[in-house]
Amino acid sequence: MHEPSPFLDFAQDKLQIGALLFMALVYSLKIRWILKFPAGRDRQAPSGNPEKNASRGAWYSLLNIAMPWAMPSTRNRPLFYAQFVAFHLGVAASILMSFLIPYAPRTIASAPAVLALQVVFAMACIVGILRLYRRIADPYIRAISSPDDYFSLALLIVWLGFSFLAAPNRPAEGERALIAYFLLTAFFLVYVPFSKISHYLYYPFARWYLGKTLGHRGVYPVQRQEAGA
Amino acid sequence: MPPARSYKAQKVIDRFQQKLNRQAMLSLAACVHCGLCTDQCHYVLANPGDPTYAPAYKADRLRKLFKAHVDWTGRLIPRWVGGRSVYSDEELEELKDVVFGKCTNCRRCSLNCPMGVDMASFNRLARGLLVHVGVMPEGVAVVAKDQWEIGNQMGVLKEDYLETLQWMEEELQSEYNDPSIRIPVDKRDAEIVYAINPREAKYDPRTIGEAAAIFHFAGENWTMASEGWDMTNFGLFNGDDELGAACAARVYDAVEGLRGRKLVVSECGHGYRSTRCEGPNWARRDLKFEMESSVVTMLRYIKEGRIAVDKTRNPLPATYHDSCNNARSCGMTEEPRELLRLVTTDFREMYPNRAENFCCTGGGGAMSMSEYAPRRLKSAKVKADQLRATGAKVVVTSCHNCVDGLFDLIRHYKLDMQVKLLVSLVANALTPPERRIKRRPLEGFRILVIDDEPDVRIYLSKLFEENGCAVTDAPDANQAMRAIRAQPPDLITLDLVLPKKTGEKLYWELKKDERFARIPIVVVSGYAAIDHPKIDFHKFIAEKALPPPEGFLEKPVDVEKLIETVHQSLLESRFSG
Ligand code: SF4
Ligand code: SF4
Repeated sequence: MHEPSPFLDFAQDKLQIGALLFMALVYSLKIRWILKFPAGRDRQAPSGNPEKNASRGAWYSLLNIAMPWAMPSTRNRPLFYAQFVAFHLGVAASILMSFLIPYAPRTIASAPAVLALQVVFAMACIVGILRLYRRIADPYIRAISSPDDYFSLALLIVWLGFSFLAAPNRPAEGERALIAYFLLTAFFLVYVPFSKISHYLYYPFARWYLGKTLGHRGVYPVQRQEAGA
Repeated sequence: MPPARSYKAQKVIDRFQQKLNRQAMLSLAACVHCGLCTDQCHYVLANPGDPTYAPAYKADRLRKLFKAHVDWTGRLIPRWVGGRSVYSDEELEELKDVVFGKCTNCRRCSLNCPMGVDMASFNRLARGLLVHVGVMPEGVAVVAKDQWEIGNQMGVLKEDYLETLQWMEEELQSEYNDPSIRIPVDKRDAEIVYAINPREAKYDPRTIGEAAAIFHFAGENWTMASEGWDMTNFGLFNGDDELGAACAARVYDAVEGLRGRKLVVSECGHGYRSTRCEGPNWARRDLKFEMESSVVTMLRYIKEGRIAVDKTRNPLPATYHDSCNNARSCGMTEEPRELLRLVTTDFREMYPNRAENFCCTGGGGAMSMSEYAPRRLKSAKVKADQLRATGAKVVVTSCHNCVDGLFDLIRHYKLDMQVKLLVSLVANALTPPERRIKRRPLEGFRILVIDDEPDVRIYLSKLFEENGCAVTDAPDANQAMRAIRAQPPDLITLDLVLPKKTGEKLYWELKKDERFARIPIVVVSGYAAIDHPKIDFHKFIAEKALPPPEGFLEKPVDVEKLIETVHQSLLESRFSG
């Protein structure tokens, strides 16, 4: 097995640990910050419907992400939802790969594993490009986009592109892709808490509180009847 | 250097930071600008191509403040994350236009956001910030003032309210030929304390009578309160938690003072939400008594066999419109349907429905903001299409506010439909009470209602239609003149205070024109009651040597007197013609 250069070794190990520690610290502070805002209390009596209560509502709300049928906005856009899955799978796989390459390279050394990773990254990257195009071309999305929205998306597209190139993990054939991938990963970890990408930190809190209230009031889980049903 | 900030803008920022709770903060922080909520809003659907109606765009008007003053990155580099503070009073006016004029707080986008961003809740927060510095539509200010001062949002005086209850009681006794029917007031230790929407006392007292008949035949031990009887709450609409707390506390105090066991709230989406769900939070009260919607009460009476109903009395095809507050904020979607199926023969579902239903467009206090009426009616196309697709002749709803919103859009989009509350259908289906067959006194006539206030036009039109006649309306003198020329009506009701050309001037023109001089005119105006004495109009007609009008009624009108005057004027004109 080819030994990585000292710089690659630094980039994939110490730099990542440093960036991760930084991210963890900022996230802890962010959670503290969120919890500093007083949470509104629900004093009203429960809905009386045994099927609906605060904790059911909260869980239903949290799992909303895995229930594309639950809302018209996702139910009527299966392709958009598929893109969402592909994109987030790619991001998750790339984060996982940043641990596997330095610490357990054998787990993704086989040709099928590399191919699977590359397919996932390629799909996510294509989705990212489509989303960037949509952000620029769709007047509704353009009107709500900030520089951070464009930059975060562009950053992820580039990162996913380098994830694709780094997946074979063959430093002997050239370290450039790997170094770029790890530098970008470190930057990504440091930048994320300050950007819109930190939405995954807000997601559980926002959905939990909304679901708790709506469950308590008998709205969640949503009951519906479609035409012809 | 940032521009200097106005006093009011600074106040808005200060208050924003004070009012921000965890839920609102998360909603402001969590948006990823994915745009999935865009086409879930009726304003967007009715205004294709205009991104300023998109929920996230509207939400960003407040989110900019959050980014600039609260968000970590935004405080350092606001522009990078779309942050911008407010500096001038003009910017506050722009924000007003968005939060009051482009959103009914219907919560449809909230329930369609994958991130759980509750746009409607922080839109209400934004309204509250503006109200705090006096920036709001005039109608909102007027209604809020009435609710603070008089204790109900329509400014109904206690004696008028009690008189209305008395009148309804007499009507019921004569309709059912049963002197034992009562509308008890301030009875202690009753099982039910019934609270209503002041619209019922002011414009639609029949619904009080209908509810009273249902309570009576169910053998209920019930009462109404002489104070704290208004369960509506403008605090929900104008975002003022203090007003919300005061209104809710008034109702709770009344129930506790009378030692009532349960508070039953008549059909009103925002009233139900405010009283049952938000009120205890605003007023910080943990209540001992139970609360329920009258829909649940009526359904229980039927299920328990306490009242009998004959659904064939309501044979017209009926659909159900879910009020946003009932469905998306209180989860009341199944009870009204169950009840409807018990009291009508032909129920047709509307799609989408329940929590996915579209707003009637009259929500969020929109009916009190006449300046946004054209925008509201344009966005109502979505609802009109939904209604039309059902093929129903009656749209039933469980909300007085929706009644007004739906009535307005039905007229605007010329749908062949009536709007009814569930209480009316249940009362109509009640068996076996023998009832007086009422003649419809205005059958066969055509009336033109001229008034600049949409609420009054709707109310009078509905009242006259229910009394059997065909109605057209006009918001100003010029449109009225066009309508009269196109088809002279049998009678005109005229408001004296009209934009551009006054009612007096129009009166003069009509009386001078021999084609229209014989059309009876009943003046219905608040003009005399404000600061111009009634004599002004009389002086005007005396000076111009004009004949007096066939009737002169001051707002708020006494319904019985109005119908009697109109009826009499029509008969006299027919006789003399
Ligand atoms: S759906 Fe939610 S996250 Fe997406 S733009 Fe709308 S409010 Fe923001
Ligand atoms: S709350 Fe209703 S009216 Fe307001 S933006 Fe959302 S969908 Fe539109």
